[in-house]
This record gives sequence, structure tokens and C-alpha cells, in this order.
Amino acid sequence: MTDEVGRSISVPAEVRRIVTLAPDLTETVYALGLENRLAGDTDYCDTPPAAKAKPHVGTTINPSLEAIVSLHPDLVLATTSINRRETVESLAQLGIAVYTSNPHTVRGMLDSIRRMADAMGAPSDGEALSAHLQQRLDALATRLKDQPPAHVLFVVWTDPLISIGQNTFIADALRWAGAESVILSKQNWPRVSLEEVARLQPEYIVVVEDATRPGGEEADLQARPQWKQIRAVETGHVVPIDDQMERPSPGLIDAIETLARELHPEAFAGGNASADSSAVAARRGRKVMLCAL
Amino acid sequence: MSASGGGPAVASLASGRGKDDAPPRLKVEQASYAYAATGRMAPSFTLGPVSFEAQQCETVAILGPNASGKSTLLRLLSGTNRPLSGRIELDGAEISALDAKARAQRVALVQQESELLFPLRVWEYVLQGRHPYGRRLRFETEEDCLLAGNALEQVGADSLRQRWMDQLSGGEKQRVILARALAQQPALLLLDEPTQHLDIGGKVELLRRLRSLARENRYAVLIVTHELDLAAEFSDRVVLLHKGKCLCVGTPAEVYERELLEQVFEAPLEVEMRPSGRPRVMLREER
Amino acid sequence: MRPLTPSRVVWVCAALAGALFVMVVIALRLGAYPISARDIVMTLFDGVMGRRDRIPSDFWLVVFGLRLPRIALGILVGAALSTAGAGFQALLRNPLADPYVLGIASGAALGSMLSLMLAPQVPGATQVAAFIGAAATTAVVYFLGRRGGQLDSATLLLAGIITASFLSAAIMFLETMLSGRDQRGMAFWLLGDLTAPPSVGLRWLYLVLIVVVGCIYTTAADLNLILTGEQEARHLGVHVNRVKLVVYLGASLLTGLAVSVGGAIGYVGLLVPHVMRMLFGTDYRLLIPASALGGAIAILLADTLARTVVAPTELPVGAMTALAGAPVFIYLMRRRVR
Repeated sequence: MTDEVGRSISVPAEVRRIVTLAPDLTETVYALGLENRLAGDTDYCDTPPAAKAKPHVGTTINPSLEAIVSLHPDLVLATTSINRRETVESLAQLGIAVYTSNPHTVRGMLDSIRRMADAMGAPSDGEALSAHLQQRLDALATRLKDQPPAHVLFVVWTDPLISIGQNTFIADALRWAGAESVILSKQNWPRVSLEEVARLQPEYIVVVEDATRPGGEEADLQARPQWKQIRAVETGHVVPIDDQMERPSPGLIDAIETLARELHPEAFAGGNASADSSAVAARRGRKVMLCAL
Repeated sequence: MSASGGGPAVASLASGRGKDDAPPRLKVEQASYAYAATGRMAPSFTLGPVSFEAQQCETVAILGPNASGKSTLLRLLSGTNRPLSGRIELDGAEISALDAKARAQRVALVQQESELLFPLRVWEYVLQGRHPYGRRLRFETEEDCLLAGNALEQVGADSLRQRWMDQLSGGEKQRVILARALAQQPALLLLDEPTQHLDIGGKVELLRRLRSLARENRYAVLIVTHELDLAAEFSDRVVLLHKGKCLCVGTPAEVYERELLEQVFEAPLEVEMRPSGRPRVMLREER
Repeated sequence: MRPLTPSRVVWVCAALAGALFVMVVIALRLGAYPISARDIVMTLFDGVMGRRDRIPSDFWLVVFGLRLPRIALGILVGAALSTAGAGFQALLRNPLADPYVLGIASGAALGSMLSLMLAPQVPGATQVAAFIGAAATTAVVYFLGRRGGQLDSATLLLAGIITASFLSAAIMFLETMLSGRDQRGMAFWLLGDLTAPPSVGLRWLYLVLIVVVGCIYTTAADLNLILTGEQEARHLGVHVNRVKLVVYLGASLLTGLAVSVGGAIGYVGLLVPHVMRMLFGTDYRLLIPASALGGAIAILLADTLARTVVAPTELPVGAMTALAGAPVFIYLMRRRVR
């Protein structure tokens, strides 16, 4: 079969042992219910927590090839968003099948899940998961269809200020959440000046949550004098979001839904708390921060 | 360096060429040179034509004030530059026509030493003087070591053998550089202002040593200098240069003529002939 | 006085080769995959005898597919960088010179970057492009570094530094245009990586290494003289300009080679020649082979540490050489103040 970067790989008929080289891939394997086939993952794979107990092969950038070999994998999963080309090539040279995913959009990610499940010999699980996630997305889209998209600035890093480009995965995810990034850039991680942000005056600032200091993001920005000129900061329109938003994994859908709720509460008013959202909170066991609007 | 049987074999540093005194060792015939002489530009400095001869065992002083062309003449004699006209012959062979190694076996130049990058011992430094005698990737032979050792003895620096080069005094360094030149077993020994950084005692000692080396090893020794009194005392022949022109060649007694010297050195001078036949130069008192 | 003799050169090199052999054995033995020494020896033996079918496929993979190639590459890179470093220190008359001071690593980085941007699918293109970048930089610096038509040490050093700065700026500029994956790859390459298989067969690279080191070695006696002064060397019969050109081309070629296949591993080219000088003296007729062997040992040591110290996490080998290199550097500097 051919993987998502165009490499043709030959996967054994029975895939019993899998090694993943990125946290979002580990998450996908768990979401597909194939965790008992997972022979090893990286040091950084912590979602779900059970993944931490699996044997580790090292970092995502430079995993130990020997450790991978020692686990006798039938298939190794890699992704262009985190792993190096050289790792994949070295593994291929050793005769180990490597599937590299290359998701650019949310739909692409769903497709990726299907294809990966296919490679792992569990196409029905892939179909089921993918269809389920697609359904959630469609439901969300219906809710939001009459809502104008919120103009947001997605902050990847504050010093220096780095946002996202139009072609990134995150930009696409934002769109599904009923938001539009105000930064129109072809670069993937453009550096933006505060003046530009002041000129654009986005309605909301979306910041990745700092797990060590929950709730501190808004205060953090407000404490910076230059950021006061940004209306969204002054009025407290700062939305912290889980870092799931940055990763192409099933948990992304949760993050999208959460963000959609924050930005367009009117679309969700009227009861009908979907079973999904409580399942979201329960499954992830994290507190979802709602900011004061 | 083992002694077998009788006395130790002392290799000779003599050049061993030219047993007769008749043909001169060094013959400079109408040699001239000009810097920056292109088709369009006039040369910035011209030397020559210069003619003189030097015999083996002779010490010749190339005398003149600054910017008189001494350095240029030295470059011609050492083969660094080729004369634009005329010939410079050493034992009948044109110096600039020799290849680098052959020239290095015949002409040794003693200059102020460049700064050493890495620490080096004295004997290693002197041993480098044997480089022109080796094959491509050479390692020094026993004979080389012997010759280098002799060179150090001849300059009185034998005790300095194991010292580091950068720990030597000016005078000691001067002797070691000289030793390296001697290790080359040259026919012609050139020295560029060797007395520059020495005190008067050092100057005298060096020049005396050079004279005796010239005699013992049958070198032709050429010393570029501007020191009138030393040249008078220690050289057999003097070549007087002024603004690129060779004004006079002869013994010190012949060359040291008051008016000539005053013109060349632009200083009020007195020349006195001493009983030894050598002139003495002094500053004239202003009355 | 004990001058350098061929037998001393041979003995020292034999001792260093012995140490290298020990290092190879250690490197073969250690690693994330648990494999006993006995199994390694059996695998090697069977492999050499051509009895591949008798070896479990995992052992084959680990010994012949992973460890041996990495060791072989490490030896190549270490020898190349150290010899180049020794050469540049003489050529540039500067004890602080390392193989990258003339911008060759930056040129290689730029070359591989351009290849990632323009032809990402072609496997092995980055290494070839890196080498071309290194060669181009060598040519540019050569022409900038001449004075009166000949290579001049001070001018060369200046030209190299300026070129390196310019190339670094270009790299920084282009870096923003790379995809995230390639940025990571690039950042890692800059620290040195011995896991990537070379696109040209290892035996050809070794051939080039031996030939070039041999060429530089023929100038070793001349280099000794040049180090005491260029003019003096000329008057002792050394063809200084020719020697400088040979050393320049040879050292640049070695650096370009090492950097193309292993990334920009630092400190080795700078420090190994100095350590060898401290141990064996400054004579280049011994220093050149000693540096080559010493460099191989150093890189093997660094790489083995890098992949075992916090197993299974692998540190980049360049980080290891920097960690070890900095204290060694300080120690050397203090010793020079005699």
C-alpha cells in the first residue's frame, strides 16, 4: 500500500505489534481500541495515561532505532508533523514497514485514521471511529451554520508572538469550531507584531492552556502592558484551550467542540446538553475553563 | 650518534666547494631590479645596476642608509626575486635559475624570526635546516642530527639544545637562527641586519663569530647593515648603496671617504684611518 | 635530541589503532537492544563467513544494519574532521581554527536546505546537495582569500568568517520557509547525526578519506617548516604556495565529506589535534595520522555515550562532543599558560 507521503510500503498480513512515534498516533491507536497491539511508543506519549506504561523507544525526533528493532514491530506509525524524514528512511532500510501520516486538515485526519486502521488490519474499527467523529463534526456544523465565524488570534507562543498560517491544521480546526484566524499568512508559524494584532483587533484570543497554571492565561496577558491595546485582552475575551487543539488526533474533536461552545454559546443554549460533551469531560478528566464574557 | 672505534666522526659544515681562491664564489654582474614596473606605470623604486664579487671565506658588508636598496639586493641574492637584468651567479650557477631545494642547499638566509605558533625545542628548530637535503617525506638521518649538533656548537649554543624556542633571549635566539642556517651547509650565508636587537657586546660577538665561520667553513658571508663602524671593523669588502645605486665597492679603507659617506648618510662625519688599515667613523663636532 | 623516526610514527599509530579497536568493541557491545557479547561475535563470524541464514534476523539487523554502519560512519567522520582541523590550524596559522571556520558547514547546511525545499522526494539528495554546498563555499572562500594571487592565511581567515556569517544569515532566512518537519530535521542535522545512511557507498567514502589524508600527509614535513615562518620555509626549499593549496583543498574536501554524511559535529576538529599535540608533539608527520585515529576514537566515544547514557533516549552526538569538549578546551587553554 501507499502511505500519505507517497511511499509504498508492504505491510504484513497480520499486524500484531505496532510501534508509534508520536503522541497523537498513540492516541489514535487507543481510540481505535487497538492498544493491546501497541508494543511501544515514545517518551512523550501521555494521552491516555495508560500509554505511559508502554515500553518507550525514545524521543519523537530521535527515537532509538535499536529499541524499535528490539520490539519486533510489524508496523511503525510516524507522522510528518513531528517525526524526521531520516528516521523513516533508516527504518525502511532495515526492512521495517513504516506508515507516515500527513494530515493537513481535519477531514484529512479522519481519512488518515481510516487508512491507518486499514494498515493495521482493523478497517472496521477505523470506519466506525472515523464515522463517529465525522458525525460529531457535522452536528457541530449544523449548530453553527447560522453563526458568523468569530475572528480570533490563535497564539502559539507569546515571546515572540507566533501565530498560525492559513494552511495549517490548526486553522482548519478553528474553522470547524466556528472561528477564523485573523492572520492571513502562507507561512506555517508566522511571527506577528503586536501592532498588526492591534490593527486587526480580533474578537477573541485563543491561547493554549498551560497545564501547570490553569486559569492563569488571561491574567498573564493582561499583565503585559503592550497587550492592553488589544481590545480582546481588555475585555477578557481570552479563551484558553487544551493542547489537543494542536494535534491531529481524535481528541481534537473534543477541543473543537469545547472551543465552539466558548465562542458561540448562543448556538448551544437551549438545553440539549449532548451526551458527547459530558463524555468529553468525563473521559479526559480535565477541567474545562470557561472565561468570563 | 655513536662513536665507533676511533674518534667521533665530525661531519663538516664546510661547503667544500671551490678549492681555489681564484674564481669568485659569488659574482653579481650588473644586476638590477624595479618594483611595480608595469607597462604603464613608472617603477616605484629601482635598484642597480649593481656589480661586485665575493670570495669564499670572505665577509662582505652591504652598506647603506634606509631605503637604499639593501633589502632589494638581498632579495635578489637569496633568489626570492629574479633580477630584471644582469646575472647573479653562485659558483657559476645562476641563483634565480636554481630550483627551490637546490637553492636552499647553497644559500642560507638569516632573518628576524617569525612568531612561532606551537612550542618547539631548539634542536628541532635547527634540525629543520636539513630539510633541503631530504626526499619527499623525509625523516632526519643520523648525519642530519650530527650536522645540526655541530651547527649549535659552532654558534656556541650547544647548551641551549633542549630549551624551548619561545623562552630564549634575543641573543640566544639569534644564535639559534644562525645555527639553523649553518645546518643548511650553504655556500653563501646572507644576513639581514643581524645586529638590530643586540647590545654592543652582542654585536661584536656575532660579527667576530661570522668572520671565523666564514674562514673555517669557507662560506661567502654577506651582511646587510647600516652600521658604519661595525662594517668597517669586520668586513673584508664593502658594497655601498645609496638610493638604489651602487656607489662604490672595495675594502673599507677604499670605500670610506668622508665626503662620500656624508653624502650617503646625510650626517656630519669624520673618517680616521687607524694603524690596522681599517677606518674609523665618528660624528663630527659642530663648531 | 631524538628526532622523529618512522618507527615512532608506526608505534604511536599502532597504539592508537589498538585503542580504536577497543572502542569499536565497546561500541558494538553497547546499545538499546539486548544482545550478548557472545551473540555479537557469532553474528560477526557468521556474517563474515557468508552464513547469513544462520543468524537470527534481529541480530543481523542490530549488528550489521545498525551498529556496524554507525561505527563505520563515526570513524570516517571523526578521522576526516580531525585531520581537516589539524590542516586548517597550520594553514591559517591559528590554533583556534576548526574545520568550520571557513564556512564550509554553513555552505553544506544551505545546500541541504535548498535540496529539501526544491527536491524533497529524492532520497539522498540532501547529502549530495550538502557536499555541493560545501564545495561551492570552498571555491568562493578560495577566491576571496587570495592576496597577490596566492592564498594568504590572514586574508583566508577573514574571507572564511565573512562567508560563514553570510551563509548563516541566508540559512536563517530560508529556515522560515521550510516545513516544520524539515525544520526539525535541519536543526537536528546541525548537531550531528550518525544514523542516516550515506547516499554514496561507505567504501567509496573511505577511499576518498584515505587518498586525501595521504595527500595531506605528503606535505607534513613542509607544514612543520611553514609553521616556523612562511618566508623561512621558502628559503629552506618549501614550495609554500603549492603546499597551502594542497592543504586547503584537502582539508576542505574532508570537511565537506564529513559534514554531508554526519552533520556539523563540533569540537572534534578543534580539540583532537591539540590533544594529540600535547601527547605526541607538534611534528605533523606524526600529528596527521594521530589526529585521524584520535578523531575516530573521540567520535566513537561520544556517539556511544550519546546513545547509551539515557537510553532509550538518544542524545545528538554533537551535544555530547560539546559537553565533553568545553571542559577539555578550558583545560587546554589553562595549560598553554605555562
